[in-house]
Amino acid sequence: MQLINSHILSFLVFMPLVMAGVVLFAPSVAVARWVAMGAAVVGFLGGLHVWYWFDGSSAALQFVESYEWIPSLGVKYIVGIDGLSLLLVVLTTFLMPLVFLSQWHVEDSRQKVFIALLLALESGMIGALAAMDMVFFYVFWEAMLIPMYFIIGVWGGKRRIYAATKFVLYTVLGSLLMLAAAVLLYFAHFRQTGVYSTSLLDLYSVKLPLSSQMWMFGAFAVAFAIKVPMWPFHTWLPDAHVEAPTAGSVILAGVLLKMGTYGLLRFAIPIFPEAMVAAAPLFIFCGVVGIIYGALTAWVQKDAKKMVAYSSVSHLGFVVIGSFAVMAGGELSVEALTGATYQMINHGISTGALFFLVGVIYERRHTRLLSDFGGLAENMPWFAVMLIVATLSSVGLPGTGGFVGEFLILNGVFQAKPIAAICASLGVLLGAVYMLTLCRKILFGPLDNPENKELKDLNAREFGYLVPLAILAIVMGVFPNAFINKTRPSIEHLAKNYKNYSLDYRMGYDMTDKSAN
Amino acid sequence: MLWVMLLAPLVGAFLNGLVLRKAPKLVSHMIAVGAMAIAFAAALSMYLGMMHDGGEPKTYLAFEWLDAGGFHAPFKYIVDRLSGLMMLVVTGIGMLIHIYAGGYMHEETSTYRFFAYLNLFVFMMLQLVMGDNLMVMFVGWEGVGLCSYLLIGYWFHDDKNAAAGMKAFLVNRIGDIGFLLAIFLTYKHFGTVSFTELRTLIGEGTLDAVKMAAVGWITLCLFIGATGKSAQLPLYIWLPDAMAGPTPVSALIHAATMVTAGIYMMTRLNFMFYLAPNTMHVVAVVGGLTAFFAATIAIVQSDIKKVLAYSTVSQLGYMVMACGVGAFDAGVFHLFTHACFKALMFLGAGSVIVAMHHEQDMFKMGGLRKYMPITHFVFLIGVLAIIGMPPFAGFFSKDEILWKAFIGGGPLLWGIGAITAGCTSFYMVRLLCLTFYGEHRGAHGNAHGDAKAHDKGHDKGHSDDHGHGHTPHETGVGMWGPLVVLAAMSATVGFLGVPHVLGGSNIFEEYLRPVILIPEAAKEHWEFLEATYSHSLEMGLMAASVVIMIIASGAAIVLYGRGPKPILTSWKNSCSGIYNTLSNKYFVDEFYFANIVQPVRDMAEFLWAFVDVKVIDGAVNGVGELSRFIAGTVSFKMTGSIHRHAMVMAIGLVCLLSVLVFN
Repeated sequence: MQLINSHILSFLVFMPLVMAGVVLFAPSVAVARWVAMGAAVVGFLGGLHVWYWFDGSSAALQFVESYEWIPSLGVKYIVGIDGLSLLLVVLTTFLMPLVFLSQWHVEDSRQKVFIALLLALESGMIGALAAMDMVFFYVFWEAMLIPMYFIIGVWGGKRRIYAATKFVLYTVLGSLLMLAAAVLLYFAHFRQTGVYSTSLLDLYSVKLPLSSQMWMFGAFAVAFAIKVPMWPFHTWLPDAHVEAPTAGSVILAGVLLKMGTYGLLRFAIPIFPEAMVAAAPLFIFCGVVGIIYGALTAWVQKDAKKMVAYSSVSHLGFVVIGSFAVMAGGELSVEALTGATYQMINHGISTGALFFLVGVIYERRHTRLLSDFGGLAENMPWFAVMLIVATLSSVGLPGTGGFVGEFLILNGVFQAKPIAAICASLGVLLGAVYMLTLCRKILFGPLDNPENKELKDLNAREFGYLVPLAILAIVMGVFPNAFINKTRPSIEHLAKNYKNYSLDYRMGYDMTDKSAN
Repeated sequence: MLWVMLLAPLVGAFLNGLVLRKAPKLVSHMIAVGAMAIAFAAALSMYLGMMHDGGEPKTYLAFEWLDAGGFHAPFKYIVDRLSGLMMLVVTGIGMLIHIYAGGYMHEETSTYRFFAYLNLFVFMMLQLVMGDNLMVMFVGWEGVGLCSYLLIGYWFHDDKNAAAGMKAFLVNRIGDIGFLLAIFLTYKHFGTVSFTELRTLIGEGTLDAVKMAAVGWITLCLFIGATGKSAQLPLYIWLPDAMAGPTPVSALIHAATMVTAGIYMMTRLNFMFYLAPNTMHVVAVVGGLTAFFAATIAIVQSDIKKVLAYSTVSQLGYMVMACGVGAFDAGVFHLFTHACFKALMFLGAGSVIVAMHHEQDMFKMGGLRKYMPITHFVFLIGVLAIIGMPPFAGFFSKDEILWKAFIGGGPLLWGIGAITAGCTSFYMVRLLCLTFYGEHRGAHGNAHGDAKAHDKGHDKGHSDDHGHGHTPHETGVGMWGPLVVLAAMSATVGFLGVPHVLGGSNIFEEYLRPVILIPEAAKEHWEFLEATYSHSLEMGLMAASVVIMIIASGAAIVLYGRGPKPILTSWKNSCSGIYNTLSNKYFVDEFYFANIVQPVRDMAEFLWAFVDVKVIDGAVNGVGELSRFIAGTVSFKMTGSIHRHAMVMAIGLVCLLSVLVFN
């Protein structure tokens, strides 16, 4: 057990990449599929292992593995997770097998490459979540782009080149700003301590004057805001989603976007606390605008996928305002922050499911226009059940995960900025407006289009990847404490101490004795 | 026992909805009714147990639900006199309606869906009434809204039904935002959302000025929630459309239980409302106006379910008005009697509709007394109860409200209530006459059924229905049985609330007294509730309302007793302005659509087509084009590799920054 715990994160990071290489040289697509599925399932078991052994009573970084890499520059290899990243890591490993299952039937000569790219992407995502060294984080952050670029650019729809280029250029623009600020931070740390270090644990201790904080916070924040995407940096998202194949959309919405909000919590807030407090009103404003704007624009979309894409803009607006709810006493609202981390996961589940579901009807009809559908509840009743469950979670009905996230965020923001919360709560209504419109246009009304009459209900494979999501959406609504309890100390630590942030760490080989906690 | 009661409907919904979708209709009906019977038996035994112990409140913790920061919301339930009464109403009347629904739905396919939703609704409604904190109540509050949405849109093939369901959900959500804000405010100022703790903090403690003001806002926000769920002005518009659902749904959800949630919630938190006299004024006025407006609309409706729908809105207005003048017990009493007689009338109307092959226009009915003697008899009792004929249930409960409105709100509020009572008598007797008396005006008996009726009703399962004769006929015992039970209750439950002035002891008021708590700070303001009044005044008002009832009923009998009098047509023509306003429901829907929905939609189109595509994305693409242009002019060849460019840029930036930092 000690051996596993001390290397589990490195295993989760690099195993998929190695398997991606294996897949490329697999003798056939069928073998490639099985290898990839095996890797994803093992990854998920690894995720569960981390979940089980993770000590929910501690705010420390856990499962830490650390080696010197370039001592002269202070670059280390450090991986570790705490309550901010735990759920996202598990979510990522959970989604991957479902994604591979959704791809199982695809017959395409380039399918091996596609599968390999997805595995490489998993490495990039878990790497970015687990890396606690600036250099490694940046490498993984950028590395995520490459597979996604090809997934959209090669397997996408008609305007795939435009969408892929826009996605990459936009993100790279933000990343470069972040890189520049990170380099500045690195030197600032050197000047204050006389030691070169790129370890995040060291960089947290850097004290900067407000003026330089503002610039560097701005650089980091723009990078993350683009990724979220926060209004008004969001226009790459609908294009990317619409053009991306289903698997790409699910991962993009499920995990990649969360890298932005995760980055805000991991980097922007604790490293530049005073700048964050100064900028919080702006972020709350953009978040609230995003909530309402995203919902309204989603409402008028004619393409189901674009509608879901804009709904992401709205939902992630909630996460943004939840991350910036500075209370009167200067602390962040624990409720809002809990809600923000919860909403990240929940959005991954519900929006992931929605993209899968749109994929299901797209594969059957090769159209996503709402006007081409109607009355599908008649001949696809199970599809209807799944779509309604995903919708309910998306609109935040109590009993689904969406409610927990939205409620905690709004409640926390209300304690800090009541007016903002009141405006944001309009999103609760508008969310229902567009999602119920989507349901009504697809599921209800007369089944009068002859092409729709022939459609078959979900098959076993589709059940296989939709049912886990539906169950999880409800479990997250009924038993939220099971998830929140794991993350509570980390979130309270960040909310209360972000101005003098530091992280303790527990090495992986110390993680075995649960009773010692 | 509590767990049995709560879980039985959920299990029923689960079995019907997810497991046994291919089961025969009878099986799904039996599962649903069985679940309700178990729940009712459990509720009854729990209720008797509670009353045996003196009716003291007891709380039960299921499990911890949601803890974040200082926020604490467990799945905790309370059994006391108020929730005890509600659970009996929900499971008892719910069970009768479930039994009835088997007959009503027997021509339908996929009834598993119907019964699953219906069971799920009962589960959610029980969350609403049994919850011991605002959060569990809110789970039920939105949960019943979901079931309402699903059931209104049950016949989803008709887009109109889907639209009606959506409208109900969305309008309710407006109210739900009020409810949410109330939770936030409560948490902010009192640090808890538990009813039990709030009752101690607010009802028995003393509050400073800030907290008093907070209570004012909290109650106002809660009342916004109530206007949504209980269909009050200005959010009542969803309820009439909700009649698109199957009639048992209208009886259960849109008459007897869900729509009374607002009254229940206000009564549950009466100690807060007593502290907020301003909110209470709003409540009383909104309730009174709703009662009046809805009653006037009901007078000219021709769809039997629409009349009942507006009648429900109007009666809910009464209950809300009662809460507004501090007479929560009277409100709940009317809730209880109304649940009996309105469920009865909706189910009766459902039997009529089935007998008429889904014709709902009363002007095409008439004379059904002959064909449906049992339904006629029970319906008659329902009408007598609602119009307030002594000694039927409605007489006592309505008169109690009118009396409290007089002493609490003054003659004007009483006047509104009394006129409403007159309207109620008129439209109810009109409905009774048009449906059951006079000559039969239906097209039945002609060649092959009535094509129009098929079109107007929903479209499934009836067009191939040859088994029935073309003349209306009495329903089976599965349908009239529950009606008889409800009729017996409508006739008798009023005696629980015989006022002192008539020599009774108002058992009901005494029963609820422990639930009602007027905080010290508000005692003075509400002392009129306990004051003594001259008996002659109370008797006089009572007599006046009976006289109004008799005159209005008489007028309806004269005009509609033997079918609609021809003179009505000429009145309709000469007063077409008023008539059109009333029959179009004061054009409220049109107003909302033109002034709220359409502008928002236009704005959304503008945001999308102009702001998003042209301005924001235009800027993004513009930057891209610009850099390409610059690159072209300095003949920096596009090699096609984004990453190479990015790398070059990155190295450049780092160099630049290094220089800056080291200087």
